[in-house]
Amino acid sequence: MGSATESLRDLIRAAGGGLLVGLPLLFTMEMWWHGFLLPAWKIAVLLAVAFVVVVGYTTLTGFRRDRSWTQLLVDTVQTFGIGAVIALVALVAMGRIDTSTQLRDAIGQVSLETIPVAFGVSLAGAQLAAPEEGSDAGGSPTGDRAGVGILGRLFVAAGAALLFALNVAPTQELLVIAVEADWWLMLLTMAASVLATLGIVFYADFRGGRGGPHPRGIWRSRPLEVPIGETLAAYAVSLLVAALLIWAFGWTSGMPLDINLRQVVVLGVVASIGAAAGRLLVGDR
Amino acid sequence: MRQNAVEWVVLALSIAVIVALVAALVVDAVNDEGAPPRPTIVVHEADARATEAGWLLPATIGNDGDQAAEQVTVEADAEVDGVSQTSQAEVDFLPSGASIEVAFGFTDRPDGEVTVRVIAYRLP
Repeated sequence: MGSATESLRDLIRAAGGGLLVGLPLLFTMEMWWHGFLLPAWKIAVLLAVAFVVVVGYTTLTGFRRDRSWTQLLVDTVQTFGIGAVIALVALVAMGRIDTSTQLRDAIGQVSLETIPVAFGVSLAGAQLAAPEEGSDAGGSPTGDRAGVGILGRLFVAAGAALLFALNVAPTQELLVIAVEADWWLMLLTMAASVLATLGIVFYADFRGGRGGPHPRGIWRSRPLEVPIGETLAAYAVSLLVAALLIWAFGWTSGMPLDINLRQVVVLGVVASIGAAAGRLLVGDR
Repeated sequence: MRQNAVEWVVLALSIAVIVALVAALVVDAVNDEGAPPRPTIVVHEADARATEAGWLLPATIGNDGDQAAEQVTVEADAEVDGVSQTSQAEVDFLPSGASIEVAFGFTDRPDGEVTVRVIAYRLP
């Protein structure tokens, strides 16, 4: 097997994963607008957070765990490079970027759209790849290896929360719901988010879910080993991710704090479900 | 044991974040007496400027009521060179406590005072 063929295969898979995850946002008007509305440094902050998430995610899920830090960083830069190229091609193909577009606006749009596409590229590398020949990746999608630990699990939860919430954060719907909903609906929404994610991760018997009695019994477990403990921590992480996005997408300007907090609750629904999916992805390791 | 301590700290912080959010929502609800929207318009004449597209007068639209208003239309009237002119601005969402920046446009610097008023709004 020639390594050129292998590289090509990797690239096609990366592009497939990138498009799979990035398409909804490539087709979202608000993302284009925010590409030129947002100050450059806010986009840079989002990109930096996304970069850290991808580095952490790749380390924790152990895709080619034997590689060095330098290799890991090079791979992550490559992931974002592929993501940027896909985003650029897609935006040009959709007529969002043409010869009349200001350079700064084009860069803003490509940078913002690169984030979801790069998540997809990274996911394609770590999760969607067929197990390599000779590797003992068996039942678990990422193979057998040392556990990610509860803090690692929360980190993956944050990354997945960011990925999911990114799809909703730029949309006007978030403001409409926040302005129009009654306060008790907000509290119910919070309770529902906690219950839904508790159910998804521990009681729905998804692949990667962790149902069943805990080996050490509930009273002798560590605080975050207990389902409700992990769920509350993951929900808090999701809320923080939602708050980051509310800030980054400029919802805080001109809007009172209480509306922003309501937006955090509403976006927190999406973020927490994403966080649950992320925790399913790393399974019980 | 140290791992355990870290986990307790993470859990405590998590619960603190959630409780703080719930508390903020409840406090906000308690302070809400359901007063109808009360749009306010503050013009910033010191920041007014002449552009090629006319004379622009920045203003801040606020809401001192408890309820939110939608599709708030505001109007500014002034006399320019002896002819009265009207300029309109619309705000899609105006929650209580919001402050939205807009600008009214006139062909030139008005002669006298600019008067502002709310034309209409819609309840959510």
